[in-house]
Amino acid sequence: MSPDLMEQLANQLGPNGLPYGLPIHPNLVHLTLGLFIVAISFDIVGALFPLEKRVFKFLAIPANSSNFFDVGWFNMVAAAVVTFPTVAAGFYEMLLAQPPSDEVSDWGLQGLETMLWHGVGGVLLLALIVGMAIWRGFQRYRWRKDRARQVQWSYLITGLGVFALMFAHGTLGAHLGGEFGVHVSADRLLRVGEDLSILNVLLPKMF
Amino acid sequence: MFEYLPPLNAHNLPYPDTLHPIVVHFVIAMALFAFVCDTIGYFTKNPLFFEVSWWNMAFATVSIFIAVIFGQVEAGLALPYQSSVESTLHLHTILGWSLSGVVAAITGWRYVLRMKDPKTIPMAYLGAGALLSGLVVFQTYLGDKLVWLYGLHTVEVVKAIRDGVL
Repeated sequence: MSPDLMEQLANQLGPNGLPYGLPIHPNLVHLTLGLFIVAISFDIVGALFPLEKRVFKFLAIPANSSNFFDVGWFNMVAAAVVTFPTVAAGFYEMLLAQPPSDEVSDWGLQGLETMLWHGVGGVLLLALIVGMAIWRGFQRYRWRKDRARQVQWSYLITGLGVFALMFAHGTLGAHLGGEFGVHVSADRLLRVGEDLSILNVLLPKMF
Repeated sequence: MFEYLPPLNAHNLPYPDTLHPIVVHFVIAMALFAFVCDTIGYFTKNPLFFEVSWWNMAFATVSIFIAVIFGQVEAGLALPYQSSVESTLHLHTILGWSLSGVVAAITGWRYVLRMKDPKTIPMAYLGAGALLSGLVVFQTYLGDKLVWLYGLHTVEVVKAIRDGVL
């Protein structure tokens, strides 16, 4: 957003450029990524169960493939649900972002380019995650209800493809915070040459 | 020892970006989701949810030790530049190590409960899950402060420290 427009909100925003102390989006990202990656991982473990049977037996952990498919399904549903607020919070915080105009990231992208790709990627990933959850639901309750292996190989391979996209997408997000200093209080104060002692009073000092 | 490591980059790291905040996805999301599933399972009496929460806790237990290792490496390279940063980093470190014990202990308890009867959990276990969720949220808040308030391992802060501005 342009500095002139940001002036409209100047008295409501803290040094991080947000009306609250810490950004919300990166925290919801923990949930989206953790749930999605574990969902696909457990479906892979479930699909390859005949190979792992002995390992679980050796570890004395009772296990069967249907348990792993339960994790694959419920974690995927949770990932699909939680990704809506993740993307919503991301767009809110991106509208208030002011990356510096004179720097490029480790990947050679400028601030606005990084933001645009991260925004487009976020919507694409939301669509993919919701699509995967629906696909997973059809496999569980319709197409492969009575099969020993509840998931199609193509679903697992697509999941691995989404991992790759998530890696690239997450790195762009990391660049926004770690390199462009978007919504990082200390970075934004340093860029305008201000003293960092104000950081001690922004949030409860004890914690 | 340092001559065996790659040179430190603009984030003061021997590899491109911080890894600890990525590994913690698998502790934060799994521990919180396990508690959600336990709660749903407890009130709907559907034992499927107990399986899901047990495996999520098992995954969180493996992940938290990896998270602590990377956390320790990145804390060691973090250059806490004022006393408030240092005290937050210390608290995050102590709570992180403690959580590795707490998560492992709760998962161990759950293993025993599951061996006895995989279809129910006692109220006390649900309480332990609630307590763990609280600790995880607080620990995430401390980590958030280190990154988003104090900017540890961000290019701007590392540069300011190297230039002697901070």
